Amino acid sequence: MSSPFFIKYFLSRLGFYILTIWITLTLTFIIPRLVPGDPITAALSMLSEAGALRGSQEIVDEYKKLFGLDKDMMTQYLSYLGQILRGNLGISITNFPSSVSTIIATALPWTIILLSTSTIISWILGTFLGALAGWRGIEKKRFELLSVAALLLYIIPYYIVAILILWLFIYTIPIFPRETGYGSINLTLESILDALRKSSLPALSIVISSMGWWFLSMRSLIATVKREDFILMAEAKGLKSSTIMWKYGFRNALLPQITGLTLALGHITAGALVTEIIFAYPGIGWLLYQSILQLDYPVIQGIVILITFTVATANFIVDTIYPLFDPRIRR
Amino acid sequence: MRTLSIATEILGKILHLSTFLGILRDLLRIRAFAVGLIGILALTIFSLIGGLVTSYDRTYAGAFDPQLPPNPRNPLGTDLLGRDIYAQLIYGLSNSLAIGIIAGAIGTLLGTLIGITAGYFRGFVDSVLRLFIDVNLALPSMLVLVLIASYFRGLDYIGMALIICLFNWAWPARQVRAQTLSLRERDFIYLARLSNMGRFEILVREIMPHLTPWMVANFVNATISAILTESGLSIIGLGPQRSMTLGMILHWALSYAAIYRGLWWWWATPVIFLSIIFIFLYLIYMGITRYFAEREVFA
Repeated sequence: MSSPFFIKYFLSRLGFYILTIWITLTLTFIIPRLVPGDPITAALSMLSEAGALRGSQEIVDEYKKLFGLDKDMMTQYLSYLGQILRGNLGISITNFPSSVSTIIATALPWTIILLSTSTIISWILGTFLGALAGWRGIEKKRFELLSVAALLLYIIPYYIVAILILWLFIYTIPIFPRETGYGSINLTLESILDALRKSSLPALSIVISSMGWWFLSMRSLIATVKREDFILMAEAKGLKSSTIMWKYGFRNALLPQITGLTLALGHITAGALVTEIIFAYPGIGWLLYQSILQLDYPVIQGIVILITFTVATANFIVDTIYPLFDPRIRR
Repeated sequence: MRTLSIATEILGKILHLSTFLGILRDLLRIRAFAVGLIGILALTIFSLIGGLVTSYDRTYAGAFDPQLPPNPRNPLGTDLLGRDIYAQLIYGLSNSLAIGIIAGAIGTLLGTLIGITAGYFRGFVDSVLRLFIDVNLALPSMLVLVLIASYFRGLDYIGMALIICLFNWAWPARQVRAQTLSLRERDFIYLARLSNMGRFEILVREIMPHLTPWMVANFVNATISAILTESGLSIIGLGPQRSMTLGMILHWALSYAAIYRGLWWWWATPVIFLSIIFIFLYLIYMGITRYFAEREVFA
């Protein structure tokens, strides 16, 4: 690829990335201000009625100071952008005086461990089964059955799979640990293994529910490759059929599938919020659920910003790197 | 009388009624489409007729004894608060379907309008609209909806459908835009331009009819995503608190640990009905895409 073209492409992607972040921040600024009344005060008064709050005046003062709530809109907006860009997401209402960043940082590793492991396992299983089904042909009965199952998993929402798994393994055949992990994950081997064990059931549900998509996409990719001329050529040369499949078919169909994986890994923060809620798994989704129940608006807002940011960043990285690796999409 | 006949003629031209019926007849020959359509119609009729043999006050807390398994008085049992689950299902089903259809229809129409404008006028208009479309698709819609719904609590199902529309138009818009771009280069559009047809007339009379299949497929797709979004938001606790939906039944069941308590009739009801709605809608979608793939409309 010629470098002036790449620089132009890179700059346009960068511009789009910055625009997405800016629009998100602006939305998170505007939405709370569209509500009649002040949501912070409303949330605080609801909580103090329930007698669940200490230091409510401090929070209001802290917020006024942080976000300049007594100033005019433009000043508020600029000060808001400034605070967020410096990584200050505010202070939690229910866990005063912990900062939102600290609370999110406690939940984030749980989500990352759960989603990265299960996404990769699901991808591997789905890709290989899909390749087999696409290559060996749909005419074989067992692959047809597999395809129907994959289609069903693709259609049915992931949280329904999660509910069925929960019912099967915790209520009907209780073989999985019912207790889930709380607190923070340290980077010790023990702590990581513990988190993995506790993630087993939610992970199983994510593996099963996302496998359908990987299977279907790999099946159609490899079925397309199978019709290419170079496969015919390889057959004409008399190569072993397994060699043709893995070295010629599989490798050529793999690239879009890898892009899919990269994107999915970038989206893991948003990937399975409801699964975490169903299994009471202490990641970002569970934190979001708790914050919604407790009207902890700063935390809800912090999670929205964090997830949009990671998703936009992942898209940006994939968009930028992909043309470097795949000569076919260089224009 | 004359005005009326002209009016019907124009309406018939716009809707292409005979073409539409012809397409429908061909579609019904595709088994997936027929099964899906009949299934969805059956569910709709069930939710409408079912309302005749139940009443809304059966969904109030304390209407019956709590945790009753299915019995003659409560065909699907009652939940932990003593609410009849069959009654919840009937109202939930019709509200969920309504959310899907309202949000799907508005999203598709809005998306088509934006997509046509971008694709037909190109240039600056297109750049601006495409930016809107791309940004909208890049945002994790579920999360922004979480933010909106957490501030605007107490929405009913119509309000829910309307906020879902905020993120339901971009995908149809992108598809329609691409389709319009390719359509406007076809010969018959040149011919129309040569015969001095106005831009707006070309849009409505020449381009719109060719977009109808896209709109239908997108409508089904947008309906699926709206029902999916609604149930997701409801489980998180941001559903329409004042209306019953399938997602809300699931929300109550999950927050009262219905699975651990063994109240299968409570959680399984919304699970089964949500699943079959998605399967039927997907069958319809599959049927439509197969139909148009055979005729190479989806080029």
